[in-house]
Amino acid sequence: MAKHPVSLTVNGDEHDLLIEPRKTLLAILRDTIGLTGTKEGCSTGDCGACTVIVDGKAVTSCMVLGVTASGKEIMTIEGLASDGELHPVQQAFINTGGYQCGFCTPGFIMASKVLLDENPDRTEEEFRHALGGNICRCTGYTKILEAVLKAAEEVRTTA
Amino acid sequence: MSEYTVVGQTVARVDAVEKVTGAAQYGADVHPAGMLYGKIVRSKQAHANILSIDTSEAEKLPGVRAIITQDDVPSGRRVFATDKVLYLGEPLAAVAATDPDIAEEAAELIKIEYEVLPVVQDVMEAIKASAPRLQSDAAKDGPNRREISAQIRKLSRDKENDHSDEISKLEAALEEYPDEVYYNISAESHSEAGDVEKGFAESDVVVEDTYVIPRVHQTYMEPHVSVASADSSGKVTVWASTQGPFAIRSGIAGTLGIPLTQINVIGTTMGGGFGGRFGVIITHVPAVLLSQKTGRPVRVQMTREEEFIDGRPAPGCVIKIKTGATNDGQILAREALAFWDSGSVSGASIGSTIRVRGVYKIPNLKVDAYGVHTNKSGTAAYRAPGAPQAIFAGESQLDEIADRIGMDPVKFRLMNMREEGDPVPAGANEPKVGYKETLEAVADAAGWWDREAGENQGWGVAVGDWTNGCGPGGVYVSVHEDGSARIFHGSMDITGTDTMISQITAEILTIPYESVTIRRGDTDSAPYSTGSGGSVVTFTMGNTAKLAAEDAHRRILELASERLNMNVDNLELKDGAVHVISADPPKSISLGELAAYSLSTTGGPIVGKGSFARQASTPALAAQIAKVEVDPDTGRTRVLKLVASQDVGYAINPMAVEGQIEGGTVQGYAWAMMEEMQYGENGNINPGFVDYRVPTSADLPTVESVIVEVPAPNGPYGAKGVGEPPITPTLATMANAVKDAIGVRITELPIKPEKVVEALKSNGH
Repeated sequence: MAKHPVSLTVNGDEHDLLIEPRKTLLAILRDTIGLTGTKEGCSTGDCGACTVIVDGKAVTSCMVLGVTASGKEIMTIEGLASDGELHPVQQAFINTGGYQCGFCTPGFIMASKVLLDENPDRTEEEFRHALGGNICRCTGYTKILEAVLKAAEEVRTTA
Repeated sequence: MSEYTVVGQTVARVDAVEKVTGAAQYGADVHPAGMLYGKIVRSKQAHANILSIDTSEAEKLPGVRAIITQDDVPSGRRVFATDKVLYLGEPLAAVAATDPDIAEEAAELIKIEYEVLPVVQDVMEAIKASAPRLQSDAAKDGPNRREISAQIRKLSRDKENDHSDEISKLEAALEEYPDEVYYNISAESHSEAGDVEKGFAESDVVVEDTYVIPRVHQTYMEPHVSVASADSSGKVTVWASTQGPFAIRSGIAGTLGIPLTQINVIGTTMGGGFGGRFGVIITHVPAVLLSQKTGRPVRVQMTREEEFIDGRPAPGCVIKIKTGATNDGQILAREALAFWDSGSVSGASIGSTIRVRGVYKIPNLKVDAYGVHTNKSGTAAYRAPGAPQAIFAGESQLDEIADRIGMDPVKFRLMNMREEGDPVPAGANEPKVGYKETLEAVADAAGWWDREAGENQGWGVAVGDWTNGCGPGGVYVSVHEDGSARIFHGSMDITGTDTMISQITAEILTIPYESVTIRRGDTDSAPYSTGSGGSVVTFTMGNTAKLAAEDAHRRILELASERLNMNVDNLELKDGAVHVISADPPKSISLGELAAYSLSTTGGPIVGKGSFARQASTPALAAQIAKVEVDPDTGRTRVLKLVASQDVGYAINPMAVEGQIEGGTVQGYAWAMMEEMQYGENGNINPGFVDYRVPTSADLPTVESVIVEVPAPNGPYGAKGVGEPPITPTLATMANAVKDAIGVRITELPIKPEKVVEALKSNGH
């Protein structure tokens, strides 16, 4: 199959790649670039495990063809901590027990980060709905919500 | 104030940073050099004879490196179907290619010719004489015929006396039960205590219902995956996402006839399991076969759709149940007849039908259960396998009785609960368990006693019991010159168990939790460990770690005794140092100093060994209360409150225990209200998250968890396994709450809006 040139900036690093048009952004991140922190849970855009940030928006990377992401700025879970310092959302997931098996966690953390960037002043109910595109099978969501609310508080007070 | 400093405390998990940074290595993250991608070719028919499999077109596709069928299984053990398929999605062949998309394309190019056969997917249809026979022609007798047949057999064996008259009478009696010859039975299980007929005769109220529970999927977020690499010497390495690496090792050895020592299974971080991650054939065996054939590492990874059509979900079940009680609230008898939808593999969970006895003093109990073959994939364990189904029937019917005799459902349960020393129907006597404490705790926390319900609102309560399993395990603990300790073991971390093992080790060695690190070995290096399922890990590995740390503790005192020239009786290990008891001035030597000293002693370094296999475990109880509001126009049920208590024995890491209670309760909620694997004329029709809905954060309120601690005599620090109990009562909790809200009992799960609307219509709304 013919390949197309694709240029991506991932976590600040530039990648110039030749990609088959059928490859998803998720496949490129995991198989070509080797960033496996982003997970594949359903391949149909329903579980949110593959959520990454594309130009500031939370996106399910299994639903994006790689060729359409050319020129975009992408952040994955590997790029979230800076200078060895965890992002407040990451720290909050640890402190509240917001993860169990951890497979959905990168997706939840990336989706939460975008929500907090947009507006940390949401109510619990609003966060519950805003995170409705991410599935967790272990926690029952109680401690995930606790984590996100705690991180929101942290973001508000340090902003 | 607790006498302990590390156990009983909430601590961050040992794997915290790797889990929140994407560094944790799950199965699909393993990528050895030269790896090929495998794809399984699956039946597109639910029941058919296979006339031919033509791989020629697929072989021509550039990038395809191997195609295998059952002919490529040297042991002859069934990995792929050959002459006949029994369900949609059954594996027929597998492909390995240089790219996952090429493998998928090749799989589509393989031509299968089918001769379609009649399909049966409903258990109650499958047992009928008119149903197609799926795996054998054998028929089994139902409960009444079974008893009569047993009598006939007994009389026929007595050659000394003539019983021909009695026998012909009994044979005539058999004719009274023409519907009790069951077909397609895969397994059966029967138990009896007392005399149920007598119990029903003495009862004032007898209620009889049929409950229907759907097949649901464990829906762990990481689909099944394995990476296998067979080298030229015949050594096979398998990176497996599994709950039990040692079980996978013996499974591969048995299936493929490879010596145990030639197989190394490396357990990768597990993306959820819930009992569904023990299967050997699903991905591991095809990956090994493909690697053997190509000489390259091969990854076989299921899609979510494949998970639904060829995973090993929890069996659905139809339970006919009958309970008798006196007007003053004493349960006298209970009888249950269950048909479990086993799919294509024999009988998972059917033994759990006995759980209809609950935790009550039921003097007369009779339970008959059958596993039934249907044209579906086989089933396996799902969190307390079989218990949610049986307990849904039992606890729903208890509320019906309470309603009929006008008793409060909590009081009715408290009155009938077994106490220490009470006989357990068809079981041993009851140990000390916090049954009443747990139910009272949830009632108090939920505000049950002064509960209020607005219009279309209702409250429901239920309890569920489960006993953690126990299995073999081995642990080593080494103490190093910096005073830190390192644990080495072979059991898979199941959402926090490595943390629990570390806490116990730190507690015994009197060092901070942060000074303990833990490493899991593969099956080539680690001591044998039981699989991480059946709530065994805290009980088994907790006890094993304790033994290992205590062994290290002994060696530490021995070293200190040599070093300080004191009798060990005058020494104690405290705060990471050995102290001379009542020494003035104080005299002590640190663990680090002792570890350094040990390196030049005759006895050698500090290495504690723990090895453990079996001790009696103690039942646990989960009790839950839900408050719901039903919209009578749309039938939608909204949960306003969900409170879950559990007797956990002792909470070693309270935050992790709460997490188990919350997660299990929500899985139970989903089974009650949302989830159902649906089958059309040709197999599963909802193999994805759009049609098979699992709850999201938008569906639920906060789950309030309440920890109750009644210690288990043989558990580490009194702990019981906590993973499984919380799912057991929730199906009935929700059904009982909906009944309270709308006044109609829904006996078939899930309680979807359309069923509620239908129920309300039948009730004159």
